[in-house]
Amino acid sequence: MAPPTGPRAGNSNRSGHKPSTRGTRGGGGISKRRGAPRTDRDGDVSMGTVSVPSSNPPTGPASQATRPVRGARGARGARGARGTRSGQLAQSVRNYISEHDGTARNAKPRLNKVTLKIHGLKDSKAAGSKDGGLRSLLEFLERKASKDRAIILGRGSIHGDHVWLKVNPDDAPDLLRLNGYTYAGAVLTIEETKDPIPGSAPPASDSPGSKTAETKDKLLAVLGFRYNAQQKLLDLSALAADPILLAMGAFQSKPLAEKSFKALMSLTSANYDKNSTKIEDVIQAVSLANNDILDVSEVFTLAPTLPRLRRLDLSSNTLHDFSKLSKWRHELRRLEELHLVGNPLTNLPNYPNQVIEWFPYLQILDGRRIRTQEEAATALAAWFPNPLPCLPSNLRDGENNVASTFLRGFFTLYDHDRAGLARQFYDDESLFSVNAGSNITATGYTSFSRNLQTMGTRGPATQQRLFSGGNVIAELWARLPATRHPSMDQAIEWQIDCHTFPNLADPTGQGAAMGLAIDVSSRFEELDLVQPTTGIRSFFRSFILGPSKPGAPHPFRVVSDKLTVRDWAPQETNVAVPPAAAVAAPAVAAPAAAGPAVLTEEQQAWMIQEVARRTGMNAEYSRLCLTGTANWNLELALQVFEEKKADLPPEAFAAR
Amino acid sequence: MSANSHETNIRCSCEAAKNFTDWYYYQINEGKAVAHGYVNGHDAYDRAGHPPADICINGLVVATPQEWEKLLEQQRQAPKQPDPNKRRVRYEVETLDAHVLNADYRFAAPQKMIDLHAPTDGVRMMLHVTTTGTVYFGTGRSAITTSSTSSGAGGSGSQGADYWEKQEFRDTFILVPNWDMLEKVGTRHGRKYLAISHNYRAS
Repeated sequence: MAPPTGPRAGNSNRSGHKPSTRGTRGGGGISKRRGAPRTDRDGDVSMGTVSVPSSNPPTGPASQATRPVRGARGARGARGARGTRSGQLAQSVRNYISEHDGTARNAKPRLNKVTLKIHGLKDSKAAGSKDGGLRSLLEFLERKASKDRAIILGRGSIHGDHVWLKVNPDDAPDLLRLNGYTYAGAVLTIEETKDPIPGSAPPASDSPGSKTAETKDKLLAVLGFRYNAQQKLLDLSALAADPILLAMGAFQSKPLAEKSFKALMSLTSANYDKNSTKIEDVIQAVSLANNDILDVSEVFTLAPTLPRLRRLDLSSNTLHDFSKLSKWRHELRRLEELHLVGNPLTNLPNYPNQVIEWFPYLQILDGRRIRTQEEAATALAAWFPNPLPCLPSNLRDGENNVASTFLRGFFTLYDHDRAGLARQFYDDESLFSVNAGSNITATGYTSFSRNLQTMGTRGPATQQRLFSGGNVIAELWARLPATRHPSMDQAIEWQIDCHTFPNLADPTGQGAAMGLAIDVSSRFEELDLVQPTTGIRSFFRSFILGPSKPGAPHPFRVVSDKLTVRDWAPQETNVAVPPAAAVAAPAVAAPAAAGPAVLTEEQQAWMIQEVARRTGMNAEYSRLCLTGTANWNLELALQVFEEKKADLPPEAFAAR
Repeated sequence: MSANSHETNIRCSCEAAKNFTDWYYYQINEGKAVAHGYVNGHDAYDRAGHPPADICINGLVVATPQEWEKLLEQQRQAPKQPDPNKRRVRYEVETLDAHVLNADYRFAAPQKMIDLHAPTDGVRMMLHVTTTGTVYFGTGRSAITTSSTSSGAGGSGSQGADYWEKQEFRDTFILVPNWDMLEKVGTRHGRKYLAISHNYRAS
């Protein structure tokens, strides 16, 4: 079995390839899979079994398969991999993965298909063509059925005077609308029918959906039995003797066993994908002992599934020489412990050295310590480029500490009084823009985002999204989500670099002035406007300060202010750390679950403060506003305020 | 409204920023020189006594652009790695933004340039350019497309992504016109803008 050359397991739908959604829609007697699904791309053995005839042999001309434009139709042949047990297993897993993994693309639920009976093709001019005009009729229907969305029809078949066609229930009304259309000189009659398609095999007693679920459950049960949470160990030793797998017949032959292993790996990764848990935190050790493995390529999938695996037991297999292990030599880079006892290769003359060379981070081989952790870290560093060291903040802002003073005031005011902040430090020439990373999840920023990298340099938005002047900037700020920055005293949270530079224009028009460039990155808590939850975002803010015009409240002003926000992600690091510390940090980023019931007092206090800031009411009335019909929804609370503003007593606005 | 937010200046600043950063990241991704993108060693600025570019890398002040190139080279070191692709360090820019700081930049400008170009012509500008993105360590050119799209999709960033390590980076440049180049009529080669300040952080 060749190693996967395409996208790795579990990721294919997000990579550049676009597997067709059609493959998962096959129902009834018609099996069509036009885009080759992932497992097949990987050089999967199931492709070798497609010659097993299924109930519906391909009828389309073979040459169509290479048609560049409508190649999809050419691949209409029933390429069911259903003839073998391994195919079944692969299909089931594929169905399972496509249901869970590529939800965006495969969002359509599996529905029972509607059978349509079309009359009129026989009388048309197209009836004389090689396939009886079936293909061009289907193309005609696809073209006419809907302008808004692409409708892709199945294979269809001609029986007697009718064309029989199974279609998705969503598409059926659009197709039925074409009843009475004229096609190649003949009037088409299209009707829905409950009759079975003549000549087709009777529908299978168990639907593919239930079979998939059943296989999935069985495999998940196997994984469940074999996972040891305490040791974070997935024990896949002696799989051939597993009662469940034995009953499924999953290990009857070598290719089947490889297939089953792949299925197990797919399920493993899909399971953790779904839970957004880092797989390497849950599975740190795997045992593949006693599996009669001749070459690790048979179980290659383990490496892409668990690239950061730390302990691996391969003992009592039949690896004869190093070439049988070489597939993994650049893969399992974090492997610390390996057991190869009981494999013939352990008798080779350069046995330990070759393995030590291939796995740079390996520290324990067959129970013997071969490297210290420091040595391993050094060996690993020689294998990959290494990031530059990171020093703390570099503040070169002169004797007056202008930057420190400015920033301290700035972020406090930005959290509490943005309008006041704009008045103090921004004049009518100040520039501000906000920039949201391309994969930012919140929409609070994206409609103002001035990202030249994605929107280009010429569009009108480059002008519209550059905010100039303190008042305009303050107006925008009022529309951006409320924030809370960490205290400046927590130095570890902040990275601040600043320095002065010459030749900024002097606001009086007299020559040049010095400017101060300040770059700040940190993170802030953000209040979600839709749900009363808080999330964490990382941000980068770059300021240019220059001298103020005469009469301004401060001797300096903000000339340019750029805010870049990104989704906050815990740092991913490969720097060698002691095993104890390698356990993931607590998910600080995880926003509190939605719903008012789980709001902490602190969050409530913050929301009260936010309502007070926006409405001018005092804390007591802000709380009333939030606890009433708004039920701790900030947006609703503000709406309620707008509605009832006129009826509010004056003491609502009185400071307490 | 000041000249800093004049329509022509905004358009020219965006194009200049894109141009400069495209060039810069191409050069460092390919392991090529970037020193000539800084103000150091350019005649007009040297003659007028402009201080050398202020380069601060992860909090470390670097004296010359050549030293920054050395740091970039140091970053690429992986003596044991047999696959040259896996020795790559690749910067992928995700956001870019630019503001005009001074639309009437005059320092070291030849009189001809001042006479020829008004402050609203988008030529004599000092620019503030910021970028953020991801830097991948140990990856091939082709591998990056897959990893960068998959890494954002939750949970499985490390899985199947063919890189050794990644960091988020940010860069800030302050750019000024390259008079040496602008003065020569019809010159098609060379940088139109030079960096007088560069701040880099990756973590």
